Amino acid sequence: MNDFSEIENKLRKLRPVQPSADLMSRVERALPEEGQERSSQLRSETARLASTAGVLPQERRFHFNWLSLGLGLAAAAALVLFTRIQLERPEKKIPTLASITPAPQFSSPTSTAQFVPAGLTQVVYHTRDEGVHFPNNSEQPMRRVRSHTRETLRWRNPTTGASLRISYPSEEVSLVPVTGQ
Amino acid sequence: MENVATDENWKICFSQLAPGLLLFARQWARSTADAEDIVQEAFVRFWRKQHDIANRGLLYATVRSIALDFLRRDSRRARRESTAVSEMDQTVQPLFEIEDESQRALVAALDLLPREQREVLVMKIWNELTFAEIASVLEISQNTAASRYRYALAALKKNLPAV
Repeated sequence: MNDFSEIENKLRKLRPVQPSADLMSRVERALPEEGQERSSQLRSETARLASTAGVLPQERRFHFNWLSLGLGLAAAAALVLFTRIQLERPEKKIPTLASITPAPQFSSPTSTAQFVPAGLTQVVYHTRDEGVHFPNNSEQPMRRVRSHTRETLRWRNPTTGASLRISYPSEEVSLVPVTGQ
Repeated sequence: MENVATDENWKICFSQLAPGLLLFARQWARSTADAEDIVQEAFVRFWRKQHDIANRGLLYATVRSIALDFLRRDSRRARRESTAVSEMDQTVQPLFEIEDESQRALVAALDLLPREQREVLVMKIWNELTFAEIASVLEISQNTAASRYRYALAALKKNLPAV
């Protein structure tokens, strides 16, 4: 290597052309302002990226797929609620009118957020009179009315303002005593 | 060398590195203006990714990558504008601030070097990269980088017997 020391010195004496005066200001304009705020994260990134020398700098941060997470959570919540409703759906037996069952209050066991019942609506969209019957050997005739309804239960979290609504169809049979004339 | 951690730091680092980066980029660019565009884009990209400025190999790899992309675009443009390019070739801007005839001869000899040797020389002499860093930029072994450096010096010595 000593054979080349003289020519190396000659080469080092050559001074590269200086960049134009506005290059610095161009870079300054091109750098995003938010990048300066990120500078505190630089050192933690540095150690990880130091091993990437020789390859093009690429974004290797972990990208969380929020869409997948949201869809997954929504699916899980729907499944839980559906299961709960199936379990808590009251058996509809004769002879009652459609009654409003108090909506259950539920909460996450690990969270202080609680949902409280906010209401229940029941829309009857079809009714059919099935005639007079004598149920259970009853002496009094009763008129059987079958109605198709849609029930909607609503819960509300007073702390967060979040609301939850479950809607499902139901079928009810009502026995109405027939009074004599 | 400090990290590009603050606004002031990047200015200091950039002012120190810019001449060498510009010379490095000039190997692929016909004009100083094109080389400055390459350096600007590379430095901004590098800084945005929050890389450590001490990781010079990565910075030069970025410059090289952008310069090669630029060269490909420029080649396509040159084919379309062949007349203009031939005129540009006649007005190539200098790479160095030449002080005397011996330096002019040296620069002319540099121009004759194969590109793979010249880029190693540029990184080693004017950017003070280690052979390990040069190897990482070019994705070659350190021995190959050192060999190219020696071949370049030998070629210069051969072409400039008076040096």
